[in-house]
Amino acid sequence: MSEIEARRLKAEEVGHEKLILNLGPQHPSTHGVLRVITTLEGERITEAEPDIGFLHRNFEKIVEGWTWSQVIPLTDRNDYLANINNEHAYVLAVEKLAGIEVPERAEYIRVIMSELNRIASHLLTFGTFAMDMGAFTPFLYGFRERELLYDIFEKVTGARMMHNYVRLSGVRNDLPDGWDKEVLEFLDRLENDVIPDYYDLLIKNPIFEARSLGVGVLTKEDAIAYGAAGPILRGSGIDWDLRRDMPYSIYDRFDFEVITREEGDHYARFMVRMDEMIESAKIIRQAFEQMPEGPVMGKVPRVLKPEGDIYSAVEGPRGEIGVYLVGDGNFKPYRVKWRAPSFSNLSILPLMAKGQFVADIVLTIGTLDPIFGEVDR
Amino acid sequence: MLGGVLGNVYNATKSLIKGHLVTLKELRTPKITVHYPDERLELPLGSRGMPALKVNQDTGLLNCTACGVCARECPVDAIEVEAVVGEKGRKKRYPAIYNLDMTHCMQCNLCVEACPFDALEMSDAFEISRYDLDDLIFDKEQLAEIWKTHKAVRITGGEKL
Repeated sequence: MSEIEARRLKAEEVGHEKLILNLGPQHPSTHGVLRVITTLEGERITEAEPDIGFLHRNFEKIVEGWTWSQVIPLTDRNDYLANINNEHAYVLAVEKLAGIEVPERAEYIRVIMSELNRIASHLLTFGTFAMDMGAFTPFLYGFRERELLYDIFEKVTGARMMHNYVRLSGVRNDLPDGWDKEVLEFLDRLENDVIPDYYDLLIKNPIFEARSLGVGVLTKEDAIAYGAAGPILRGSGIDWDLRRDMPYSIYDRFDFEVITREEGDHYARFMVRMDEMIESAKIIRQAFEQMPEGPVMGKVPRVLKPEGDIYSAVEGPRGEIGVYLVGDGNFKPYRVKWRAPSFSNLSILPLMAKGQFVADIVLTIGTLDPIFGEVDR
Repeated sequence: MLGGVLGNVYNATKSLIKGHLVTLKELRTPKITVHYPDERLELPLGSRGMPALKVNQDTGLLNCTACGVCARECPVDAIEVEAVVGEKGRKKRYPAIYNLDMTHCMQCNLCVEACPFDALEMSDAFEISRYDLDDLIFDKEQLAEIWKTHKAVRITGGEKL
């Protein structure tokens, strides 16, 4: 028995005094306004309780007073790193409920924008996860590429973040000339220069590997039991992606792989995101090749009074963004329920944090990648 | 044991050099930082700043007929319109009051899309910070001034930029 082991056993015998430590809500590592009440025994966490609701804006109630189309700008503000995906989720649900047709070209534009937004979101996650680990430089690199991508967005939607671009029965405006070349150039740079740089800068670094390999393991069973979604689910080895398994829009026309990893640790979840960026680039390339000419807006009935209820979901960067709508034959939705992937992902935190070091819970939050606009709504 | 330590040192040095090589490469790439406000990026066409009232180039009057569709369409109730009707010498209705509350406005473009009279456009005016909250309520003269001094486009749905 080594000396350290002996000391550890001695300490266990004596027992530790419990210490309650507050992380957040104003803590840079918690990605927004999350407060985690942790109970420590020495360096180990015995209990972690997330306290949410600091960013609550009453989304679901507010929209009951708005007309069907007025809701779209507010969906942007749910997951503010994946705006188009949120708009897409809501608009798809209303279109299914009211039976609105969408022109072919608009569907392709929606897919292209959604996938670009997925790349932008994963780039940010790359940066913030590195910063949680103490590496500040990759954070700047991640942000630089994301800013360039936002320039590309601005040329089409007119805004950098709150796009308000997807409309009932189509998209707001057609793509400007020469925009596709710019996107393809960006994707080439992303695949050939940027991501290899990220590998050299961060992923192949021994410190990164030591802190992420085998840490914060989430088993398959727990991932399903807690309703995990997106990269967290796929990082635990479950082959599930709504784009392939429940194809919405026109995703069944593209050839892409669903990235999964078996380990379920920080590294696996991180790498799922890195590889998903390349798959998204693949989808965008195919979409540009297949995209037909034509109108981008269809016909919306002048009086939009859908009746009935519907659940529809899309695969956002953080998982399944689900929208449950009830219409009672009025101008306004009767009820809107938003299934936010970050919320269910964050609910796994107490389980994963148990027994971890304090330093690792920061990484666990980083790899769960919750967005508080969406968790608190 | 020594080999393990040496191996660690070797690995750490290797990754350190690798990381710094990436950073060194940036010396040769062009600078992408823009020092606002000394330098400015040119905004792309259709960049959304704040809505502005369109002025008819021939008559110099506003296109707006104070129908109030924009105010009704606005999700956050940022627009206040009141009409003048039946004034002598002018057949068309026009707004007596047209206030846009920029403390509420979220620049979503819905008012422009709703406007049936080609009277609203989205300008690229984004430098609208003021020292006083009351100064952020723009009246119709100020909105017309913004339309004259800024690039503005009107997108109602489906057209090409």
